[in-house]
Amino acid sequence: MNPLTYSKWTVAGVELGSRLLLGTALYPSLQVLGDAVHASGTEVLTVGLRRLQPEQGGGNSFWQRISAMGKHILPNTAGCHSAQEAITLAHMAREIFNTPWIKLEVVGDDYSLQPDPFGTVEAATVLARDGFQVFAYTTDDLVVALRLRDAGCAAIMPWAAPIGTGRGPVNPSALASLRQRLPDVVLVVDAGLGKPSHAAQVMELGFDAVLLNTAVAQAGDPVRMAHGFGLAVRAGRAAFEAVPIAERASAQASTPTVGTPFWHGA
Amino acid sequence: MKTLDLLDVSLNGRPVATAAPTLRALLEQQGYDLAAAMACAINRQFVPRPQWPQRALQPGDQIDVITPITGG
Repeated sequence: MNPLTYSKWTVAGVELGSRLLLGTALYPSLQVLGDAVHASGTEVLTVGLRRLQPEQGGGNSFWQRISAMGKHILPNTAGCHSAQEAITLAHMAREIFNTPWIKLEVVGDDYSLQPDPFGTVEAATVLARDGFQVFAYTTDDLVVALRLRDAGCAAIMPWAAPIGTGRGPVNPSALASLRQRLPDVVLVVDAGLGKPSHAAQVMELGFDAVLLNTAVAQAGDPVRMAHGFGLAVRAGRAAFEAVPIAERASAQASTPTVGTPFWHGA
Repeated sequence: MKTLDLLDVSLNGRPVATAAPTLRALLEQQGYDLAAAMACAINRQFVPRPQWPQRALQPGDQIDVITPITGG
């Protein structure tokens, strides 16, 4: 394989080149959003759903702009607090976007926005049965991930840290365990990343992709940061595929020692 | 003044007294552009677009009309 060619991946039956999924919220403007999307190389955009008041009119400049980008759309159920709410919103999303993809979010705690594992598994089970391709946002809890796999999710998306915190992986060993225990499941790290190095770190663990929003949208220069994350995701994936060396406790010279000058043995 | 044939419903959390017999009629009466990117639920149950013209409104119905926005 040409080392400059990056491996594609498949999620929900769709082959993708980019392993970066990008959110569309919190950008300074639609123009910056569009430029960031381009700079990131992403092929998947997440969107939300909220109430429409009649005085807003039928034109939706945000959606028109996003739609024109020609990316895969991953609608979310952000803000839902029960399985039933999320299931209903997923059906509404499927009609609007004409896609079975749904980023399932069921909030369990308003302070941390930690997902509710019980509601998430319940909704995932129903939605998968109803023909949805469920991308389930969850914590790094292994047992919940196993249940989501059993529910038939297209992708399981553990957090690195709570949404919008930018802290990076707070429990890398838990993420590593997920990858090791679920080798055949599409795993996407979603939420909590702040810097490209965080994205590279989780990609090196073998995650299939990362999903982020705030780290790009709220950066000093979102377009440049989107580019940086795109590079980091590719770097991390290349490292995973290349198999990093094992860590050592002590130093080992990299320059050959045979023929070292000035050593005369006396 | 309210007449007897007005139904009291909730539309996106706001009280509305309407004479509209169906969901579609309500949406039109409220000034929605029916061609817009939007979806509806009544009492937290999805109502597919083809059912809008037939879906009769009941007193106390809680109607949600949603559209795409930015999201992460």
